[in-house]
Amino acid sequence: MQQFAYYPGCVAEFSSKELNATTKTLAPMLDIELLPLPAATCCGAGDIAEAKPNLYLTLNVRILSQAEEMGVDVLTICNVCTMNLRRANKMVKEDPRVLEQVNEELVKVGARPYEGTKEVTHLLWYLATEEGLSKLEAQGPRGLNGLKVAPYYGCQLLRPSSVMGFEDPDQPQSLERLIRALGGEVADYEAKSKCCGFPIILARQEVALKESHVALSQSRDAGADCMVTPCPLCHLAMDAYQRKAESLNGTEYNMPVLHLPQLIGLALGIETSVMQFKRHMVPTDNVLEIVGA
Amino acid sequence: MPSTRFDIFRYQPDVSDEYYRQEFSLEHTEDATLLDAILDLQNTQDPSLAVRYSCRSAICGSCACKTNGKTVLACTSQLESLKSEFGDDRLAVDPIGNFTPIKDLVVDMEPFWTKFKSVKPYLIPDGPPPEKERIVPKEAMQKIERESACILCAACYSECNSLAADPEFVGPAAFAWGYRFAGDERDGQRKERAKLYSGDHGVWDCTRCMYCNERCPKGVEPRDAIEKLGGIAFQEKVTRDKGARHAKAFLISMRTGGKLNESLLVPYTDPLGAPLDISFAAQMMAKGKAPSPIPHRIKKLKEVQGLIKNVKETI
Ligand code: SF4
Ligand code: SF4
Repeated sequence: MQQFAYYPGCVAEFSSKELNATTKTLAPMLDIELLPLPAATCCGAGDIAEAKPNLYLTLNVRILSQAEEMGVDVLTICNVCTMNLRRANKMVKEDPRVLEQVNEELVKVGARPYEGTKEVTHLLWYLATEEGLSKLEAQGPRGLNGLKVAPYYGCQLLRPSSVMGFEDPDQPQSLERLIRALGGEVADYEAKSKCCGFPIILARQEVALKESHVALSQSRDAGADCMVTPCPLCHLAMDAYQRKAESLNGTEYNMPVLHLPQLIGLALGIETSVMQFKRHMVPTDNVLEIVGA
Repeated sequence: MPSTRFDIFRYQPDVSDEYYRQEFSLEHTEDATLLDAILDLQNTQDPSLAVRYSCRSAICGSCACKTNGKTVLACTSQLESLKSEFGDDRLAVDPIGNFTPIKDLVVDMEPFWTKFKSVKPYLIPDGPPPEKERIVPKEAMQKIERESACILCAACYSECNSLAADPEFVGPAAFAWGYRFAGDERDGQRKERAKLYSGDHGVWDCTRCMYCNERCPKGVEPRDAIEKLGGIAFQEKVTRDKGARHAKAFLISMRTGGKLNESLLVPYTDPLGAPLDISFAAQMMAKGKAPSPIPHRIKKLKEVQGLIKNVKETI
């Protein structure tokens, strides 16, 4: 059993509960034990960093230190959490003076100082390795029955590569590997690593919806039955705001968007009620029908 | 001698209004760069092939272009390593994105210069000039060192996702220069700059796609500069923009519960617009996506509140 400090992030805990629930059901099937982090804060989603950069760094190192105390690495299911935690980790690991300053602040408020020994990984990265794929195979997946899936990476799991570094940000293949291993077909399209617009969807909605249009329209034109994403923020932009994007851009996509653990769950035969597809704004009926769920 | 096949974007407005593509093939030395190849093609195969270049050594910032969709400086990109990176012995070559081509690989840079000038990329000190030169401590210059390395090549604009959706977005390099001066301790316009860089098409338009950081050949990391300009806006209390309010909602959430309070985020970011969007709110609610009005409270919230109080910003 591989243990991780589980950091689902705020969106998966609240508006995208279906992602959290599916991940928790999936993890033990793949020999993963998710240990809770009850004192962890929000990673700041880039917003705290944009308002108070030093505070962002300190808060994220505090989370890393909690995982260190538990003696395990951190597992995430959100692009933005992954990037924020990894970036903070890199900043303190690369510069002992920075680590020292951050630790001074942590100690002052009674928090545990960080020694810089832990790593942060995303569920996708864990599963897209040979070890991960063999764990999926060991489940004897019933498969996706040729479901045509458009992989959608979004931005922050790939860039900046100096912080993320799992794969070539210009030619990512981890989602494709998983889709194929699960018996799906890949719908390839150029915009799979373009932005969903979510960070500015409240402050600059029109700009954001023009951004999501690029990947939504291309995946539709590539003949995808659905999209899959490793990020709940991308999911909100692509699913919850899809109808708005349709009306702004004067077109229709009708593109169901699956969270990565839901796609895996479908292939592994997790109950659809557990995965809560009813919480999606764009109906997923065609997907469930093709897979035979 | 290795050889490479090229598939090059062509546009010759004197001859035709149409864009087209042309194949070339070239033998070259092992260490030849993309710029070497383009100039060789120009000299030996087609003198009309247009490219903008000058220094050939990553200083002038003229030769940014795309190869297989990725924006690079032609003068620092070796053909053999590009081919092995893409696993392809044919390279597609295109002008940088988000600009209008004026001939082959040459684009109209006017919008870039207009945006660059709009951030007032020069020092504006307070008061009369000093008698002697101003001595700046090393640490103060180190703060703006990365931004000072910008060569204005526009590689960071080429794949900027906000710029693609909003052509008026001021953009990464201009804001890197904005921070280069807003962060300079000799400058006297911190607050004015914070105001100038907020507002429509300003820093809060950045969608954090991170392409600028990924593509910058000089390690300027313009997205980080935009982030620091956000920080300066907060220090100077220039926080009326919806983008700044969005960030403020995160700070309030952090202080009051430690996690994002979604029921605060929408109305706080857009207090005038949010109430008008009732039908969308109702749809979200029907799907169980309505946030709980009772904010989550993490364990050891006191630690977090202490950090919010204590941690000083050093932008
Ligand atoms: S920030 Fe980097 S990519 Fe952008 S113009 Fe300057 S040197 Fe070029
Ligand atoms: S991070 Fe912001 S400025 Fe940089 S390329 Fe993306 S949208 Fe443009």
